[in-house]
Amino acid sequence: MGGEVIKIDADLSAIREVQAVGGDTLKKCYQCATCATVCPLSPDEAPFPRKQMILAQWGFKEKLLKDPTVWLCHQCGDCNKYCPRDAKPGDVFAALRLLVIREVMPFKILYSLCNNLWGLPILALIGLFFILFWTVLLFGGVPNFADPNSFPYGGGYYKVWFLELPARVLMIDIIFMPLAGFIAVVLLTGISKLWNNYVETFNILPAYRYRWWQIVKMYLWPAIKEILNHQRFEKCNVNNWRTTPHQMLLYAFIILAITTAIVFFMADILGFHTPWNPLTHPVKWLGNIGGILLIYGSLNMIAGRTRASMENYLKNSYPDLFLMYLILVVGLTGFGIVICRSIEFINFLTAFFYIAHLVAVFILFISVGYSKLAHLAFRTTAVVFDLYYKDILKKVS
Amino acid sequence: MGNSTILVVGGGISGISAAVEAAEMEYEVILVEREPSLGGRVSQLRYYFPKLCPPTCGLEINFKRIKSNPKISVYTMAEVIEVSGNPGKYKVKIKINPRYVNDNCTACGECERVCQGERISDFDFGLGKTKAIYLPNPMAFPMKYVLDKEALAPGDLERIISACKYNAIEPEMEEKFLEVEVGAIIWATGWQLYEATKLDHLGYGKFSNVITNMQMERMASPWGPTGGQILRPSDQTIPQRVAFVQCAGSRDENHLPYCSYICCLASLKHSLYLAEKNPETESLIFYIDIRTPGRYEKFLKKAQEEAKITFIKGKVAKIEEDPETKDLIVTAEDTLSGKKIHEKVNLVVLALGMQPNTPNLNIPGLKVDEYGFVISEEGIVGCGCAKMPLDVISSVETATGAVLKAVQTIIR
Repeated sequence: MGGEVIKIDADLSAIREVQAVGGDTLKKCYQCATCATVCPLSPDEAPFPRKQMILAQWGFKEKLLKDPTVWLCHQCGDCNKYCPRDAKPGDVFAALRLLVIREVMPFKILYSLCNNLWGLPILALIGLFFILFWTVLLFGGVPNFADPNSFPYGGGYYKVWFLELPARVLMIDIIFMPLAGFIAVVLLTGISKLWNNYVETFNILPAYRYRWWQIVKMYLWPAIKEILNHQRFEKCNVNNWRTTPHQMLLYAFIILAITTAIVFFMADILGFHTPWNPLTHPVKWLGNIGGILLIYGSLNMIAGRTRASMENYLKNSYPDLFLMYLILVVGLTGFGIVICRSIEFINFLTAFFYIAHLVAVFILFISVGYSKLAHLAFRTTAVVFDLYYKDILKKVS
Repeated sequence: MGNSTILVVGGGISGISAAVEAAEMEYEVILVEREPSLGGRVSQLRYYFPKLCPPTCGLEINFKRIKSNPKISVYTMAEVIEVSGNPGKYKVKIKINPRYVNDNCTACGECERVCQGERISDFDFGLGKTKAIYLPNPMAFPMKYVLDKEALAPGDLERIISACKYNAIEPEMEEKFLEVEVGAIIWATGWQLYEATKLDHLGYGKFSNVITNMQMERMASPWGPTGGQILRPSDQTIPQRVAFVQCAGSRDENHLPYCSYICCLASLKHSLYLAEKNPETESLIFYIDIRTPGRYEKFLKKAQEEAKITFIKGKVAKIEEDPETKDLIVTAEDTLSGKKIHEKVNLVVLALGMQPNTPNLNIPGLKVDEYGFVISEEGIVGCGCAKMPLDVISSVETATGAVLKAVQTIIR
């Protein structure tokens, strides 16, 4: 090295950021590399999490943004168990993923709202504001919230283009369709940022820089298959219990997304408007299965994570609790609507559950881009890149 | 004015040094040792630090000083079971376990020859066996046989008794209790090896060729179970490639949170043992930091020059066995290259940490810290590895210091 001076600037704010969202044990790491060996997912050529621990200790967030391994970690917790310093690399990685989300996504305020307790009432109030605003507007004033026939199942119909929409459906479409579009767009910018980072960092030769549809065609489907099977999760040891509830949650989301799409098509486009009979309608069966899986998955996740945190294999930080309970509330309020609607003497509670459910779903939509739920997009991106890169290595050699 | 006798608990290098130094200043000394012989851990080693002397070197001269000094009373197979009183005036209860061999024994060995029953040798950490009647080690002090009655084969007792020309066998011997009054107590109860089976990912107890650093010492010792040959337990062959797992249990909050001070040096020393037999033997030392405190840096240089050592910065966290050859595949991340490596070796040595013996003693009145190391106070002073992990020379120095503290209590 001779007289060469290497100047390293530790990014203190990045370090504090990681420490604030569950990575507080970061500084305990003394780089023994036990974690990289006990990790069932860590590959020989680019082992983790030891290396990322020291990068994070110095706050080198640029390097972390370029590193897909941050997402390839599935927080098995084997590293947490064997770490001789109790530095909890698995939990630090969860915090690093949040850091990446924060860095890669536009409109950082939404990140802050999703990952701090103080943001929760604000998110809820924003959701409530939109819902009540459009309700008042579309129901022609304040409806009688104690009567389900006034709200949500009143308010008349609106003719939009060739569609005939009830007030509540129009209210939902007006709020949630732009929201979904917004989240999709910001997620796509995030994904493309990360992808380009990876391609640059790994020096992918121009000959192998495929167009995006080629990538999607060649690697996305295998990645999705792997994710559906939870192949990587299954390799976990100490937190192996997580595989089933997590898989159930994923299936629940897929089933509920399909149900929503069918309902949208049949009700909004074809005009077979809800509410449908929850016990006899086949689409409702599908929705019920999704809802049950959602509640089952989130309850198991909460119970499992509580147990694991007592055994010190995993830590529950606010961002974890936020997401688990949010999903649980979405599931419970969803069933709450159906139950209150169907039972005469608690009929008056229907509106309460209806609004609560919409607020929870509103927050959930934002979470898809800004809470740890964004791993749905970003981990998939990293897994696709992982398959892509391994394939290229094979082709090159 | 209190009692001016000093009790030394533990007859290893620290306790022996303390006893001799106190006695040579004209204080009455009672030296209590749990095992049948003095010498402690040092007597189990091939060479000890700092100068790589064989144990006979340091122990024999001290045994001679003890033998020639009437001020020292030695009790082996003895344990302190109760301490009461105050600095300057303690009452101590000592239990003496039966040896079943009396002072007539000349260590002629006739009994051992006729004895058929065998027992696993804890002195050799399970690597070898002794007869039911055995000499603790070739340089035992006192030089007397011990009988393990439970290991006797049918008819052994009669054979042993008739083989002994000196009437030294006493099968009816019973445990005895002794009460002594002393002015000060020196705790020199030393250390034990951390329980290797607690490191569930390192395969000790599951894979026969994963051994502890103290088993390595016993094999290298000329009067050890292999007569000084370093052999693989599975097939008694000479290993060509040996991995050393540093910080096995030490610097680990799940096990011993502190650094055991000596394990890095011990593994370097073991590489020299291997090189002494065959300079081509490869040693792979997997470390977090190589810790050679103070002037021991020189020893690191020596080992690097004389032995064929590859240093790998990365802790071993996975060991697998090849079921056919019983070779071991050791996995670690080489943090300097940033790649995971899998090294196939013939033998793995776990550089296990040191744990004080004190927690097993359970003596009311003895103050220990959260790990069991003795906290010295007026009248009761710790020294050697009962106080903290140390090498031999530092243990001896703490012993000298402990004697001064004990004397201060007595003359005050």
